[in-house]
Amino acid sequence: MILLRWIVAILLCGWLGQYPLAMLVPNLVMERVYSKIGEVADYNQLNVTPRVDENSRWVVRPSPDLLYASCLYNLEQGSIVISAPVPERYWSMQFYQMNTDNFAGITNQREQHSRVGTQVEVTLVGPDANPAEYSGKVIQSPTTRGIMLLRASAIGDHSQAKSAIENSSCTVKLKHVTS
Amino acid sequence: MISTENTIIKKLRAFRWPLAVLLALAASALFLSLTLKHGLGNSFLKNGDWYTSDSTGSADADVIVKTVVAIGGLLASTREDSMYYRLSSVAGEPLRLNCRYRIEGNDYDANWWSITAYGWDYYLIPNGEKRYSFNNENLIRGEDGRWVIHVGTNQQEGNWLPVGPSGTPIEDKSDKHDFDFLLRLYTPGDAYLQKPESASLPTVTLEGCS
Repeated sequence: MILLRWIVAILLCGWLGQYPLAMLVPNLVMERVYSKIGEVADYNQLNVTPRVDENSRWVVRPSPDLLYASCLYNLEQGSIVISAPVPERYWSMQFYQMNTDNFAGITNQREQHSRVGTQVEVTLVGPDANPAEYSGKVIQSPTTRGIMLLRASAIGDHSQAKSAIENSSCTVKLKHVTS
Repeated sequence: MISTENTIIKKLRAFRWPLAVLLALAASALFLSLTLKHGLGNSFLKNGDWYTSDSTGSADADVIVKTVVAIGGLLASTREDSMYYRLSSVAGEPLRLNCRYRIEGNDYDANWWSITAYGWDYYLIPNGEKRYSFNNENLIRGEDGRWVIHVGTNQQEGNWLPVGPSGTPIEDKSDKHDFDFLLRLYTPGDAYLQKPESASLPTVTLEGCS
């Protein structure tokens, strides 16, 4: 009877335990990808991904119909600035925190179509920063580290999209020093 | 003899809590694996044989959606940017490399869309044609705008989407299907945003198996 109680208790704990375990999985997967890409790309710099094929195995389900560039950010030392020309066809700049949530994004679609042909400049600040202290378009990351992903349509004539991706940048924001 | 048994039982009792914790952790991992494999219907929306979620990428997504997306669709966008429909079986039968499939459709209410075949390992399938997908602009269409994609290992006329063994060693395979399809709708229209479970989608049929 005592053994049966133990078995029931273990199974019950196991059943309930799957949910906290599931909550850990996205963080673990993201940490793995962050460190894997970090082995070949510098942090706080734009990494333009070559056109994907069967050998593209950094992140699951790469799309062969998109052009990509990413920036692994670490805001411990301060904010970063992402600058990107916006092409005519589908384009988006998405921000992911370390639990995989797509916490912010801007595009050239719907009501943001007016961005086409402009140069977007976004200041990404950390969770402890005060966004009011920055000018222009400011996005606050809920976590110090994360990934910014640029996507542009690669279907049809994609020369403009290719140029836009290649001329984008991700840089540490220089602090103004007053003398 | 009885004294020896009592000593063993006493020793086992001393380890019962660490042992119970380990067993509970193992049970959690087992339950989670079963939930992820069989729980699609509970956390995802079904539209024919396609599955989707209207909370992909969102902070509001439930824990199972977040876990499934982290494993098989990391860095997915939220639905306003793009919606993802996945299909890994037709009428309950997992997609197999020894079978031929037919995907039929027309146009969909989105800025643009694509259908990609992925191996069971979630990566693009190695093939001599280097063809992994079709999109709304590169399909050969009929006069009425409709199109058909033929899926199989052997070359076919028209829109042929080649499939084959995945790049990951077969020993690591735990899924029943050999490959799956992912339909991406970029900047989807209201039909997909409001009623993803009934919006118009391509149909996939089994043509035959060898």
